[in-house]
Amino acid sequence: MRHTLSKYWHHLVLLPLALLWLSPMLWIGVTSLKTKSEVFDSAAGWLPSVAQWSNYPAALSVAPFGRYLINSVLVTGSIIAAQLITITLAAYAFARLRFPGKNLLFGLFLVQIMFPIYAIFLTNFVTIRELGLMNSLWALIVPFVASGYGTFMLRQAFRQVPAELADAARLDGCGHLSTLWHVYLPLVKPTLVAFAIISVVTHWNDYMWPLLVTNSEEVRTLPIGLGLLAKADSGADWTRLMAATIVVVSPLLLFFVIFQRRFVDSFMHAGIK
Amino acid sequence: MASLSLQQVGKTYGTQTAVEALDLDIADREFTVLVGPSGCGKSTTLRMIAGLESITSGRLLIDGKDVTEVPPQQRDIAMVFQSYALYPHMTAYMNMAFGLMKTTRLDKREIEARVHEAASILHIEDLLLRKPNELSGGQRQRVAIGRALVRKPKVFLFDEPLSNLDAKLRNHMRAELKRLHSELGITVVYVTHDQVEAMTLGTRIAVMAAGRLQQFDTPMTVYRKPANTFVAAFIGAPEMNLLRCRHSQTAEGRVIDGMSFRITLDGQTPAPAGDDILLGIRPEELFLAPADTLPGGQLMAHGTVGRVELLGADALAEVNLGHHRLVARVSTEQLPQPGQQVVLGIDTRRARLFDPVSGYAHA
Repeated sequence: MRHTLSKYWHHLVLLPLALLWLSPMLWIGVTSLKTKSEVFDSAAGWLPSVAQWSNYPAALSVAPFGRYLINSVLVTGSIIAAQLITITLAAYAFARLRFPGKNLLFGLFLVQIMFPIYAIFLTNFVTIRELGLMNSLWALIVPFVASGYGTFMLRQAFRQVPAELADAARLDGCGHLSTLWHVYLPLVKPTLVAFAIISVVTHWNDYMWPLLVTNSEEVRTLPIGLGLLAKADSGADWTRLMAATIVVVSPLLLFFVIFQRRFVDSFMHAGIK
Repeated sequence: MASLSLQQVGKTYGTQTAVEALDLDIADREFTVLVGPSGCGKSTTLRMIAGLESITSGRLLIDGKDVTEVPPQQRDIAMVFQSYALYPHMTAYMNMAFGLMKTTRLDKREIEARVHEAASILHIEDLLLRKPNELSGGQRQRVAIGRALVRKPKVFLFDEPLSNLDAKLRNHMRAELKRLHSELGITVVYVTHDQVEAMTLGTRIAVMAAGRLQQFDTPMTVYRKPANTFVAAFIGAPEMNLLRCRHSQTAEGRVIDGMSFRITLDGQTPAPAGDDILLGIRPEELFLAPADTLPGGQLMAHGTVGRVELLGADALAEVNLGHHRLVARVSTEQLPQPGQQVVLGIDTRRARLFDPVSGYAHA
């Protein structure tokens, strides 16, 4: 008995904590299947008497969530694709090339990481407006095509690659781009995946910036749609709101389940952000 | 294969000189070893030959063609790195084929044929589908050599390729490299800090120190006739004994006076310039004399044994000769004891004289 306890004591501690962490998700799921009256009726119990699956199509019909989903996928996908290109090129330059002002420029990249994103919202807003990109998907994508944090992460990863591999690649006839493609990138895949996960989660859930620069349904993203549903003039319909929330978080949850190992590695790689 | 010529080749980093005015002419099929202590400029020289470092001054010619400004992949050279530099994410086959795919117009079948030919020479045919982390150190070494072989270059460059191997494997690979050189007739430039590798592998060895070439000659010439005190001390283990003596002209002739012994120079030895002189004697040119009389050409002196180190086949005995301390290689059959009074024989026929100021040897 004592042996079993000493071996499995951490389960006794972690299981309740896990349940605590899961409880909001469970509550959201359960509520999405209740009727309106069951939500605030304490006598109704934790589980719905009859699962109201109709809440889901009803929630999706209140606003064009299909459109919002497509926009979220387009915006997040475009941002991550652009970031992977820009951070790769910038990180390689900072890691392996010598050029005037390199240290100063890298210092500026680091300063950019330290800035809270909200501090530059106003200047970005003005820039987007001047560029005539307001209320378009470009307004959601363009400010994020580069990433100081991603450049820093990848530069550190590139510096771990032995310099002799680059020498060998040069002798094998590779220029900088070839060396990057054939030698460096395959060796830093874990870092790329880690950064991609962080970026996807950040931009998928982004609410503030899209709220600022969009005002039509054609360009709204899922978090905005969810927010509008929560603020409906008639008062929040909690069952439909929870159903819509499940729809919004499901892609990310699926993403997490598939890449959960990489997700954890990404925080270990990057330090807790 | 090809000849290689470095003409006044120099490399500076800002105000710091890494290699200074290096002149080296390496003949076709020669195995040239660049040897020297860490920081002497040997690896920098190798990287300049490879094109991985730019040449600050001077010219580099391969087969008579000036390649000073030619990019590395166009110099027709191949290099084996100290850490092998195998691409971790590629199989041994791909590591060997990659360079051919990038720099040549060979089709897939020809590349495959070359890879298998090199693999056969190096006995690694069954390792081609493995990745580097599935190979032992010696196997990775062979794949790295194979990657160089498949290119059929004019010049092979080796940058301390055996330094990461254990002693037994190092001996084995040394023999393999020697076999490859004699079988394939390749022109090789080999960098090492290990003088045993230099002596056993090189057709000629170039001793470097502080960015400068000290001596470039056959191993035995460098060993027997070191050009200066640095070469005398660096080549040979243990290093050559250097005794500070006085040179004078006496009625008997020109004499080297070591206080505990005197050497009369023969008429053929050039006269040293000054009164002070350094007498260089290798440990194996010293021996414990069984009697007080010795054959001609040999000198006798009385000394006291200090430390004795057993090496197995023989031993090294430290002998105090007046104010000199010498190391002698002695047989284990006649092992002296510390503190023992001994008669030391000195074979002066192979002794070298050096200028104590410049360090250069007298011819």
